[in-house]
Formats: sequence, C-alpha cells, structure tokens
Amino acid sequence: MAFLDNSGDIILDAVLTDTGRYRLAKGDGSFKIVKFALGDDEINYALYNKNHSSGSAYYDLEILQTPVLEAFTNNTSTMNSKLLSIPRTNLLYLPIMKINNQAINNTSLTNANNNGYIVCTTDTTFNSRNNAIDGVWNGQDPSANTNHIRIDQGIDNTALGWRFDLDQDLLETQYIVEIDSRLGTIVDTYNTTQQVSFIDDDNIASYYFSQAASPTVVQSIKSSDTLGYQNVTANTTTLPGGLTIAGPQGTALLLKIQSTLEIITSDYLFTTIGNTFSDAGTWGFDTSGGETYSYIDTNVKITGATTGYSLSIPIRFVKQNA
Amino acid sequence: MATVFKTFLNNDIKSTRTLLHEAIPLTGALASGTYGTFPNGGNIKNYAHGMFQSVYDYPYLSSSANHIYDLTVGISNDSALSASTTVQQAKKINMYNQMAAVLMGYDSSGNVIKFDRDGDLAGTTTDKMDDAIFINFARLLQKDEIKKGSFSLKLGAHSVYSAPMESLLTITDAGANTSYKVNSAAGEYGILSCSLGGAYSGSAGSGSVGLVFYQAGIAVLSSSVFQGIGVENGVLGSDAVYLSDGASTTLTGALTGTSISGCADALRHRIYDMSFNNTTELNSTIHFCRLNNTDFNYSANPSYLSQSEIRVKNNQLDAPVSYMTTVGLYSADNELLAVAKVSEPLKKDPTNEMVVRVRLDY
Repeated sequence: MAFLDNSGDIILDAVLTDTGRYRLAKGDGSFKIVKFALGDDEINYALYNKNHSSGSAYYDLEILQTPVLEAFTNNTSTMNSKLLSIPRTNLLYLPIMKINNQAINNTSLTNANNNGYIVCTTDTTFNSRNNAIDGVWNGQDPSANTNHIRIDQGIDNTALGWRFDLDQDLLETQYIVEIDSRLGTIVDTYNTTQQVSFIDDDNIASYYFSQAASPTVVQSIKSSDTLGYQNVTANTTTLPGGLTIAGPQGTALLLKIQSTLEIITSDYLFTTIGNTFSDAGTWGFDTSGGETYSYIDTNVKITGATTGYSLSIPIRFVKQNA
Repeated sequence: MATVFKTFLNNDIKSTRTLLHEAIPLTGALASGTYGTFPNGGNIKNYAHGMFQSVYDYPYLSSSANHIYDLTVGISNDSALSASTTVQQAKKINMYNQMAAVLMGYDSSGNVIKFDRDGDLAGTTTDKMDDAIFINFARLLQKDEIKKGSFSLKLGAHSVYSAPMESLLTITDAGANTSYKVNSAAGEYGILSCSLGGAYSGSAGSGSVGLVFYQAGIAVLSSSVFQGIGVENGVLGSDAVYLSDGASTTLTGALTGTSISGCADALRHRIYDMSFNNTTELNSTIHFCRLNNTDFNYSANPSYLSQSEIRVKNNQLDAPVSYMTTVGLYSADNELLAVAKVSEPLKKDPTNEMVVRVRLDY
C-alpha cells in the first residue's frame, strides 16, 4: 500500500521585516499579525507556454523551475505582486491600472522625457520652465496649474465593450499610494493636503484612499462629470477622448505631489541622492541665462487595495540651483 | 469581491515552546597554552582591576574572538583564610559576597547567604563553602541556561605541578535533571559531585564539591576540591596539589598569597576539559495559512495579464492558475511584518487546497 501524499502541509520559517522589528521594539501593541497574503514576485507568467508541443503538463514547466530568492527584510522590497482571491473561476480578463496620458485639457499628460511627471520643487524652478512641457507642476504651490497624475483602472481590452459596467468584484475602490516622505506629500487636485497613514523606517509614506472617504482622489470614471465619460450618450460607439482604458471602465485616481519643506529650503537631498541636471534645456527648463538645476528621480507606487495590482510612476523633482 | 488578503481566524495562530540544546565542549588546552606560553595566552585577558580573568576562544584583540568564560575566586568574611590573606584580601571578600548575594541571596536578617555544599540552607552550618572558585560562562555559550545533568568538569589532580593531568578528577552534576535545588536567588542549581573514576586513585571519598547555577551559567567550586580530606571534607586525597610552581604553593597558599588572576592561572593549569549542553528556549508562533480551493487562484503580477487577458487561460472555462513564492504576514493596517519564502514555486488552482504553516520564532 502506498503512502499518502502529505505535500499539502508545508512549514516555512518566517523572518521579521524591518517594519516588523520596529513595531516589535516599540512595544505598543502595533506588532499584531492579523492576516496574510501570498506573493509571486519572481514569477514571469509570460513563460507559461500554452502551445507546448508535449502537452498541457509542460505548459508551466519553466515557471515551476523559477529559482526563488531568499526573503528580503525590507518591507517595501517584497510582496510587490500578490495573489488574488476571486471566488469565480470563469474570468478571462482582469482589470489593470494605467497612467492616463490622454486626459482632457492635457492636465494629466505625462512628460515625454521620463514617461512620468516633473515636480518643480520651488516657485523659481516652476517659473523657469517652458510652458509647453507636459506633466509638470509647481511643488511649492500646487495650485499654480491644474496638471496632475491620473491613473485609470479597468479592463484594457476591446474584447469587452467599454460601455459595459466593470463587475463589482473587480472594481477598485481603495488605493494605497507610497512616496518617499522626505521628498513629497500627496495633495488632491483641489490642492488639499492628504492625511498620511504611516511612514515606515525607510521614510516611505503610505496613503490610503477610498472612494467613500476621499471622493476627490478616487472617482468613478463613468459617474464623473470631468473624467471624459460625461459626454457619452446612448448613441456613442467609440471610446471618448480622455479615456485610456479600452474596455469596461473602473475608477480613476487623481493626485498631485507637493514638495516637502525639506527640499524646498535645503539642497542636502539633491546633493546626496540627486544629481546635476546636465540637459535641463531639453527637458524644458530655461538655461539661457546660465541657470543650472539639480534633480532627484524617485517613484510613486500605487497599489489597488482590492485587486492588488500595482504601478510605479516615475517622478523627477527638479530644483534650480542658487 | 476580489481580495489579496485573508484574515487569520482564532484557531489559525498557535504558540509553541521548544527547548533547543547544543553540546558545548571546552578543552583545557584552550585555557592553558593554545595561544601563547602559559600563563600568558593571547586569549587570556587580565584586567587592571584584577577582579577576574577572561578566557576567549581566540586572541581577544581579534574581532573574531568570542568570550567563553571568566574565572575568579572569593573568600568569605568567616573563612579561616580571610585574616591571613595578604594579597587582594578585600577584593576576594568582595567577590565572594557579590557572587553569594547574586546567586544565593540574603537571609531574613539581611545577611548574605553563603554557598551551601548540599543546598540545605537550614541544615548544618558546617558545610558552607567559605572559599570558592567561580567559573562564569558567557551568555554566548550558555544561552538561556545550562541543561541540567549535562555539566562536566575534569581537573588535573596529580600532585606534581608539571604533570597535573596524570590523574583526573571528574566533577559533574549527575542526576540533576531530576534532582536540583530551587532555593536560590538566581534560579535553579545543582550539586556538583566528584567521581572517583578515571585516573584518580586517591583515598578520598566522593562528595559535594560545588554548585552549578543553571540559569545564571555559573559554576561554584569549593576550594576544598583542591584540599586534603582531613581539612574540609575535600575530595583529593592530599593537600599537596600544587597550584603554582612555587615550592609548596597549595590552595591555601594560592588564596592567601596570590592575586585573583594568579589563582585563575593556577586553575587554568589544572582544567583538563569542560563540557555542558546549553539550552535555548524557543517560543514560536505558527500561523496556519489555509488556502481553500477558491483562494489565491489569480495574480496581480504585471506579467499575469496581456492586455488585461489572463495568460494562463485559453478561454473562460479554463481554471485559473497562480504560482506562489512568498507568504507575507500583515498587520491590520496592511503593513508587512514578516515574510516567508518557499523553495520553489507552488502551484495553486481551484482543484487544490493547502495549509502553509508559517513559523515565527522569538
């Protein structure tokens, strides 16, 4: 008689992350594990070969041979992509998040140089820019123009009509935005500073936005009067301008970044983690009078709290040197 | 509702306690000449204050050296030797009082309790250890405590100073795993007794020669271990076990006329080996991550989709598949507190369920 398969029970040794150790050391009860998630950071699903000549048993052969790295203890370096629980098994399409680079009035166009956005750290820097450059705003005074980041969520495939409603269980209504707290804070498109939820030991600030609690930041694309769907009528057949998701539309995340006082008033971070801007002119900054600029490149990470999908957006903080 | 988290239920988190033991062998050669000419070894550290001597496993000036144990001696105020002690008398008395206060505590009158050879503090007063040798093991080796019944110390007992190991005396806490004392101020301790086996062929009877404090990691040897039976119920058959190369420096002579570090040198000269098992108390929390058939079958990995279409499916009816490599444990505010990895990707689809046990040790 053969042995029973006992491979269904797996024992793993866990290591504390830096945040875990920090909270444990604080001793204030904030170290409390209440839930878990599964990650697949190392997996490249493009290796799944649905056309393998040897049959379906070989479809995932390369994936199963993927070497797995040891655990990172930096909480922001691991679990970047998570597995997702959806009771239905008949889904062929899942929603994604995408930078909206086609917005109405050009207010969310990305900058062509970094496919992201530029934050002018000071008024002086903002006033030294070429008005024609896209994806730029004044970090010292975000109200100086209406440019902002816009992320659209939905199913980006024309196989499903764009006027269909996105299934409720796939609708992203909560987002987590992570940004280096030394460089910037999050403001909404009305230039109201948003409340940070947590700053970890690596200076990464996490903001939680939900459609209910932050209606200016998280908006339903179909219900909004300003996001490009408002002109859709019963006879509209083509995707309206201003929308970037090709299929059913979900929600949009709209925000700006305000420079911190630290980088407005000090050049320290520009000299330690930044660089001198050697081609500022090609990025649209005035160098005709011999002006020089410094910059810091960073990313803002946006994660859907419901679907787990995440997106990193390049941000360049630019500051005119004194 | 799509979700990336699964909340632990009450019965999904269990705490366990495990005692881990390691064997710690300490050769006498390490203490007496491996890293220099005895008594001056590069791994032997003496201090300006002269209160004790430290033994390292490697020359202590090296950053890779580890502290192993300290040696010191102490004399009680009531000892017959205290009055005749001419070298470091106060320090030897202070050392005894300090060790006795920490390890044995104070009596109801506020007096320090002396080390008692049989651990019966209320019994006879003639079995007190007035002169003692202390071996303080480093936390690095001892960890949480010395395992009861595992301590062994072999001393060279031959009366010729230049050939001390020709007869050996074995001192152990045999039987302490079932019989130990709890009436001290520093946790549990066992009685060290002397074996007549081995090369020793003296005429003395075996008996209690000291105490070993398990949680404190300190062995207390009665000075009588080096004295004749006729003196203080000692275990060596003669009082002629010289503790230094001086013409007739016996234990009494060493304690009264030699510094603490000199006494430590003399003791190192007669340590054949030591061994014990340490104990690490490992408290673990096991998190049972229960992956039901409908859980975690999809992925938010960017490569999972191509234009929003799931790559691992040909059509709607195909079962979704995902491959897990990491388990993350989260707080209520979604902060990643601990992480565990699998050795190879684990396939998850609606046809299988599994329980992943994630252990977090403290």
